[in-house]
Parts: sequence; C-alpha cells; structure tokens
Amino acid sequence: MKKKHGFGLLARQKAAGWGFLAPASLLIFVMSFYPMVKAFITSLQTGPAAKLAWADPIFKNYTRMFNDKVFLTAMGNTFLYLLIQVPVMLILAILLAQLLNNKDLKLRGLFRTLIFLPCATALVSYSLIFKTLFANEGLINSFLKGIGIIQENVNWLGQSDTAKAVIIIALLWRWTGYNMVFFLAGLQNIEYSVYEAANIDGASGWKTFWHITVPLLRPVIVMTGIMSINGTLQLFDESVNLTNGGPANATITMSHYIYNNALGQGVANFGYASALSFIVFIMVAILAFINLKVGDTRD
Amino acid sequence: MTKKILALMLALCMLLAVSAAMAEKLTVTAWDANFNGNALQAAADDYKANVDPEFELEINIVSGSSDVENDITNAGSSGDYSLLSDIVLFQDRYIKNFVENYPDAWVDLEDAGINWDDITAVKQSYSTINGKHYGAPVDNGTCIMAYRVDLLEQAGYKIEDMKGITWEKFLEIGKEVYAKTGKALLSMDGSGNDLPYIMLQGEGVSLWKEGKPFIVGNEKLKRVVELLIEMEKEHVLILSNDWTGYTNETIMQDQVAGVLNGNWIIPTMTQVEANSGKWQITSMPTLDGGEGFATNGGSSLYVTGNCKNPELAKKFLAYTFGGSKQTYDEALRKGGVVTCCISAGQSEVYGEGVPFFNNQPVYKDITEMGSKIIPIEESPFHYVLRGYLGTAMQQIKDGADIDAALQEAQDATTFYMEGMGY
Repeated sequence: MKKKHGFGLLARQKAAGWGFLAPASLLIFVMSFYPMVKAFITSLQTGPAAKLAWADPIFKNYTRMFNDKVFLTAMGNTFLYLLIQVPVMLILAILLAQLLNNKDLKLRGLFRTLIFLPCATALVSYSLIFKTLFANEGLINSFLKGIGIIQENVNWLGQSDTAKAVIIIALLWRWTGYNMVFFLAGLQNIEYSVYEAANIDGASGWKTFWHITVPLLRPVIVMTGIMSINGTLQLFDESVNLTNGGPANATITMSHYIYNNALGQGVANFGYASALSFIVFIMVAILAFINLKVGDTRD
Repeated sequence: MTKKILALMLALCMLLAVSAAMAEKLTVTAWDANFNGNALQAAADDYKANVDPEFELEINIVSGSSDVENDITNAGSSGDYSLLSDIVLFQDRYIKNFVENYPDAWVDLEDAGINWDDITAVKQSYSTINGKHYGAPVDNGTCIMAYRVDLLEQAGYKIEDMKGITWEKFLEIGKEVYAKTGKALLSMDGSGNDLPYIMLQGEGVSLWKEGKPFIVGNEKLKRVVELLIEMEKEHVLILSNDWTGYTNETIMQDQVAGVLNGNWIIPTMTQVEANSGKWQITSMPTLDGGEGFATNGGSSLYVTGNCKNPELAKKFLAYTFGGSKQTYDEALRKGGVVTCCISAGQSEVYGEGVPFFNNQPVYKDITEMGSKIIPIEESPFHYVLRGYLGTAMQQIKDGADIDAALQEAQDATTFYMEGMGY
C-alpha cells in the first residue's frame, strides 16, 4: 500500500537529481536564455530606446547590415584577425607545450609560469601598455631607431596595416600562454611509453610530434580552437583600447561596432545592435559546429 | 498610555525632521572633481551662505561624462528613473536627443526665474528645445586660438598679425614657423577631429541642414577639408592617433606653437610650466579673412524627472549658475570653469591678468568672444558624423577622391540615422 502514495527509491533519487539541477538551470534560464529571447525581440524593433517599435519589414535590422559598409569592414577585420591569429597562436602554443613538457628541461616551472603570466593581466591594462609601447615616441620606436632599423618614428597605430599587425601581436602575446596550458594538460595524459616505443622504432622528433602528439591532442586542439574562435569573434577590448577602431575603422571589430551602435556615440540604437549581436552569435555557432564535426573522429 | 503617545510623537517628530532634511537636500552627478565638481561645490557654498543655511548638496563624481550619459540612456530605455540624481551634468550636445527620446525624464527651467538674456546665445541654443529652456549653464566651450608668441617672433610675426587673417595665410605662416622652429602651428586628435566643426562654425556654417547631414554640396566644408589635408602635409598640423596623443604628446611634449580648442584645454596647456608667459590667445582665422568665433564642448545642469523637490532645484540653479558672481568667481578660481553668463564674466576676478598668458586677461576675453559666436544647427548625431568625416579625411589622405570620400561620409551618416527611423 505504501508504494501508492510514496515515491520509489529510484523516483526519489531522480527527484533529488532534479532538485540539485534546478537552481543552476533556473539561473541559466533567467540570466542567459531570457536575455537571449529578449535580445531577439529587440532585434526586430527599431527607433530610439524609449520608443522602440516593430521594424517594418520585420527583419529590417537584419537585411540592413548587408548594406552597412562599416559592419562589413568590421566583419572583414575580425575574420582577418581570426585567420591569422588563431592558427599562429595555436601552433605556437602546441610547440611551446611540447618544449616545456620535456622532463629533462631545467626550470620548467619557471618557464611555464612566465609564458602563462600575460594572461593574468587585465585586458584593458595590457591594451594600454601595448598602446604606450607602440606610440609615436614609444619604446618600440626608440629601440628600432637605436639599433638603426628605422630612421624616423613609425606611426604604428596610425596606419591601417601596422595597426592591424599590432593588434595581432598583442593578441598573440596575451593568449598563447593560456592555450599552452591546455596543451600541457593534454600532454600529461599521453603515456610516456608511447614516445619510448616510437623512439625505439626510430621515429624522428618531428615524426613523433606529427604522428603521436597531434592526434592524441586532438580533443584539446578542438576545444582551444572553439574557444579561440569564439574569443576572436567577440574581440572588443583591444579594438577599443588600443586603436579605438581607427584609423578610419581599419581595426574596428564587430563587438566594438555593436557597442558603438548601442551606447558608444550617444545615440542608442538597441534594435540594430541586438540584430548585429545575433549575427555574431550565429557565426560563432556555425564555426564551432564545423570545428566539432572536423575534430570528432568517433563515428 | 503616555509612553505610547510619547513614542508616537517622537516618531512623528523624526519623520518631520527627515522630510525637512530631505526638502533641503539635493543630489547631483558630475564627472571631474577638479573641474565641474569644484564649480558645484562653489555653488553649494554660495547658496548655503547667502540663501539657506540648511541647504545640502550631495555631489556624486563618476569617472567620465559618458558614464552620466550611459546612465541616462539606460534609465530612459527601462523607464526607471529612480537611479538618476536630482540634477545631472552632461555634455550639451546630448540634451536634444534625451528630451526627444525620454520626455518625462526632464523638468524644464521655464519658471525658474533665470535671466536668459544674460546667458550667451550659443549656450542657450543647445539646451532650448521647442522653445523651452532645460539647461542651467556651467562651463563655456568658447574656442581659444592660442599662439606661442616667442616662436611666432622667430618667424617674424606678432600675435596681432594673427588676428582676422585667412586660413591660407595661417598655412603660410605655419610653414615659416615650422621651417624656423620645427614646431607645428596646430594639432588635434585625428580620431575625433573637431577642427572641421570648429572652423565651419567660425564661418557660421553647420554640418547639418534641416536635420540632415550637410557634407555633400557644402563648399566651405570642402575648402576646410582640403586646407586641413594640405596643412598636415606641410607639417603645419599634427593629427594624433587619439586624444591622449593630442594632449600628452602634441601639447604637453611641446610640439606645437598653436592650440585651437574649447577653453577647457587651458589646464592641459598650463601643465608645461616652462612655457608660462609665452602664450597668448586671440580669435581664430576664417576662410575669407575676419575674426572667427566658435565653441566646442561644454556642459549644463539638468533637473531630472526623479527630482523629489524640483522647486528647490530650480531655485538653487537660478540663484547660483543663473548669474551669481560669487559662484562663478569661485568656480573659476578653484576649477578653471569659465562662465557663459555675460554679467558674471565682467567681475574683477575675470579681469585679472593671467601670468601663464603673458598677463593677458584671457577669461574676460573668452567671455567676450563667447558672446560673438553665431549659433548654428546642431544634431544629436554630431559624433556619428564626426566619426565618418574623420574616416573620409583619412581616405583622402591615403589618396581617395575628395568628392567620393565626402559622398561616402554623407551616405554613411544618413544610413546610420535611417536605422533609427530618422
């Protein structure tokens, strides 16, 4: 009889599981999914913030961005950063991890810490430091002039190509160590005996790296890849603080342009800004999906 | 029983005391403790000493004017004004947009009793919307054209020679100054270039016409753009990459022999103590000769819809920033804030010679120049247009066709405004 009112052991365990899940799920719904839905609704509206009205036609904000030269420039810039910076950074990170994984290397801990340290600096502070380094009268110019490579100060942040290069260099400095740590962790999981066996079979260092390390690190490569793509597509601090998007929007990123539309220029266009952020969201989702498909070997 | 009555009376007393205290207290938000914060303190002291000893002003200092403006945008779009102070200070260019978008957020100052004839026309033009005054003026954005007299002399010129000249002549003199001293005659932040706006204002021409951007077909603008590009090529003008480059490198590292901007740039100039006594100011050149007057920046105080006691706020603003000599004298002494109030500008403090400017009474001269500025059409999209115009100038410098680049700036600004339903 008891069974009829009470729950069975299994049901009670299930209920407990849901109970544990509930607070976190609720928070995610309220803090994350609800704003997403709200943002989507806002993205279909237009006009000043206090008097948002439905756009006519309803997807006007979305069709609009394909005629928006600044947004297209921003998208181009962001993808340029993505295409150059992410591969270079991941390759550097994996090589560094391999180097620092060597058991015979002295002061390993120190080197690891030093390479990881940049990512302990705040985004704004490191951007400002790079800005000072590459200023007209900055350290880089004085150094290059001192050793005779350049005769006159180079206006690094004032020309589109060099400004883009500085942003990429800054990103590499800031994030390579961070990704290296993931690779190092991944390398710990590879049995040392695998390397010994390869050694006995006569595989060279490069062959070992290419045929053993890289395939075994695949899950880590996929994860760092997704994280880097996501991070680069949402790049904001460097564009705002290092170059302020300039010169002539040559370095502006998509997130920076979204900010400019929402708050940056005194006139809030929340509808359009929300539509832009949705497009970025979709891009991240697509790229992450491709990355997962390419990286997943289980099927 | 008596205890209960006593307690009740006590509670009532406290309530009265609290409401009385609240009635005499106002909150205000500003962003620079050394500049407008000092001006507000001066006003509070003045009102307390001469009108109401119970009066209290709580001044909240945030880190930049954009913090205030973002707060208003956020409050306005959520419809919750409860986070705004009774009075807020922000840049004049935003008020039109704010009143248009969030009409309930503001209390107009029509019945505050301010003598508007005593406030410069151009200051009023920013904050008068549909014939109603909203802003109580604080600082004055009147532009100064300052020259290093000693460097001009090396090139064979005096400060008097610079008054009422054409920009062409300015360019000629600039070349000579550069040849003799290696210094540019002008500098500006290239990423937020205010020069086209300032120079056009000297002509009485706006970048706006009936609410639309006026870039294409604006012959004077085209001349200004061509001149600026020529000036930069001839080392007469330095366009820095950003604002810090403008203030910290071009001005404070002593790379220029001339400065043109709103008079709030003076504290930056005086940082270089070694040049004290070598600077003097005058009006700026114009395209066809004659003195040019302009304004750039400046802020006002606005009473918000969240103000519990708008009558007190109006009374306070009218008494102090409406024209009190004591407020403005102290604001100038302690914060370097120059008034837009014509009568207050005639006080003795304003007439004193300033040693940094070779004992020229610059503050009196500034208020005088301020009264000669021709008000021009303004737009809430000012900064959007300034950004696109800056982009166009960069493109022209890189070799693009001037008409095509200006057309693109016009289209981009129109495109931006269309997205907002304008």
